[in-house]
Amino acid sequence: MLNLSARRRRKLFPYLILGPGLLWLIVFFAIPLANQAYVSLQTGDPESGYTFTWAFNTYPDAISTYSDQFLRSFAYAGVATVICFVIGFPLAYFIAFKAGRWRNVMLLLVVVPFFVSYVLRTVSWQLILNDNGWVVARLRDIGVLAPDGRLLATNVAVIAGIAYNFLPFMTLPLYVSLEKIDRRLIEAATDLYASRATAFRRVTLPLALPGIFAGSLLTFIPAVGDFINAALLGTPNQYMIGNVIQSRFLNILDYPTAAALSFVLMAVILVGILAYARVLGTRSLTEAAV
Amino acid sequence: MPHESPESALERWLDEQTQTSRRAFIGRAGSAGLALSGLSAVLAACGGVGGEKGNTVDLNATGNHSAVKIGALQFSNWPLYIDKSVLKTWDKQTGGTVNYVEDINDNSEFFGKVRQQLVAGQPIGRDLVALTDYMAARWVRDGYVEAIDKKNIPNGVKNLQPSYLGVAWDPKRNYSLPWQSGATGIGYNTKETGGPITSLDALFDPKYKGRVTMLTEPYDSAGLTLLTMGKNPTKATLDDQLAAIAKIDKYNRQGQFRRFTGNDYSTDLTKGNIAMAVAYSGDLVQLQSDNPNLRFVYPEQGAMLFTDNMMIPQKASHPYAAENFMNFVYEPAVAAKIAAFVNYISPVTGVQEIIAKTDPKLAQSPLLFPDTQIRKRLYPYPTFTPKQEAAMQAAMAKVTGA
Repeated sequence: MLNLSARRRRKLFPYLILGPGLLWLIVFFAIPLANQAYVSLQTGDPESGYTFTWAFNTYPDAISTYSDQFLRSFAYAGVATVICFVIGFPLAYFIAFKAGRWRNVMLLLVVVPFFVSYVLRTVSWQLILNDNGWVVARLRDIGVLAPDGRLLATNVAVIAGIAYNFLPFMTLPLYVSLEKIDRRLIEAATDLYASRATAFRRVTLPLALPGIFAGSLLTFIPAVGDFINAALLGTPNQYMIGNVIQSRFLNILDYPTAAALSFVLMAVILVGILAYARVLGTRSLTEAAV
Repeated sequence: MPHESPESALERWLDEQTQTSRRAFIGRAGSAGLALSGLSAVLAACGGVGGEKGNTVDLNATGNHSAVKIGALQFSNWPLYIDKSVLKTWDKQTGGTVNYVEDINDNSEFFGKVRQQLVAGQPIGRDLVALTDYMAARWVRDGYVEAIDKKNIPNGVKNLQPSYLGVAWDPKRNYSLPWQSGATGIGYNTKETGGPITSLDALFDPKYKGRVTMLTEPYDSAGLTLLTMGKNPTKATLDDQLAAIAKIDKYNRQGQFRRFTGNDYSTDLTKGNIAMAVAYSGDLVQLQSDNPNLRFVYPEQGAMLFTDNMMIPQKASHPYAAENFMNFVYEPAVAAKIAAFVNYISPVTGVQEIIAKTDPKLAQSPLLFPDTQIRKRLYPYPTFTPKQEAAMQAAMAKVTGA
């Protein structure tokens, strides 16, 4: 008897460890999500309230009304992710392979922006990029901007803002995967007459794939839902789907549309990730891990 | 200031923050604090129960709140909308304690926060709230507020400027008492415009293409646009309003407007990013101290007049204390103190004379004390049914991309 209960306890143990996390997920994720699904199927208006009516047409309506903002969100997030990668990869590579004793200092520098609030950092870009500021004046001097050109309130400012704010999310996973590469593998490649470029392409890059995968997801997913950069550095012509959800929820009190838009966003991202993981993720990830 | 370092600029900007008026504050804090605000609104929304409605409100009702010992008083108002020494004086005079909370940042957002209690007929834990006309109208018509016992507010009866009587949603002011008013007109930067602006047509002048901001609030933006179309915005029908929004849309597509703002036009205006903005009068008094080139004009066609109204929410615990407080802020001396601090238009008579004694220059400011010539050109918001209001807001939201 005693033996049995001990065995059962051992069997249950993994689930017990899972308990707190599971509870957290149910209370703060599953229940709100179910509630949101319920809200998204309601109809009504802010003054007289909303009632549940299985209003599935909120979904197609929301998608067609806000298709511009959806497309813009994915385009901005995509471009920003590529920019982050182009800047973040050499940076992570340098820190991992060349920084020597400066490595920890440089890593710290990558993280330092997080010490200042996200909103405040973005607001300071408002000042840096302002029409009468130094940056715009120099860009006008060298002809990058037209004499009456501007940066604020343009796509460029919003994408730059997103790329700036999410760069550490790209750099850190890249650094981690680059740092743990066994240097002897690269040495072996060069010993076997691979040029440095070939060694990089055939050894370093594939081994860094998990970092690229993690980094791009960590950048892309929050960037798609971001609304701070578009709100502070852009105009309504730059508004992303996050801005729409925010104002539908808080200012217009159109809860069903806001809830439906959130669901659509989640669904699209989920499908996108699955596709991405299929193409780049699972196979190369398992290969890299072996 | 092209050579100013970003750090010092940011520091200065933060300094500006601490001294701006409530409208300026809302906008910037509003957009800056987007991520932080409204969690409770979200939570409140999640319940999403259907609303009960249809109780017709007797606009002639009078409250009856007999005098009791004054204890606690819960007052919800907008940020930076009072001289806080006034609160201490009231505490001392009455022996009560006013718990003054600046938790109204946006009419709709605040409504979203307390809507479920209101609909369920429960108290919202506040004895006094100050809401802008159209939202105040909604609360009155839906029966979310208590009728005021005017016997407890002799100052209000005596000192309320007569022009505030007769609003369609509460003609006798049986449910509401104005807190402050302000005008929505044009704020501009003389350095960028190269001269004075007098007409609302300047907002649509291609000379300023991409250098104008509009408010997202349709009552203000569409109202001013209607004035350029020769219509009286107070008497606007829904069709008028939609036509004005269509005009805004047309010019927006041509790139006339740099942004649609809450109240966050002030940074763009002081920095010279824009030449002019649809702006709130009280803001410009404050902003002028940062940038002397800034001006506010009541355009020749007119300006919109908004009022924030004190009301006692349904089933409030301390209606007598609330009325005592309203009576207190309608003492001209107290009202003068508030007006001098917030720089908006006081609804209390006799304020100008009192301010003239201490600050003659401020007493002459048309922003605080518009003369009768200007007052003729100040148009209160139109009154719409909930359906019409929703249609108007939907149309505007489409233009502003929200």
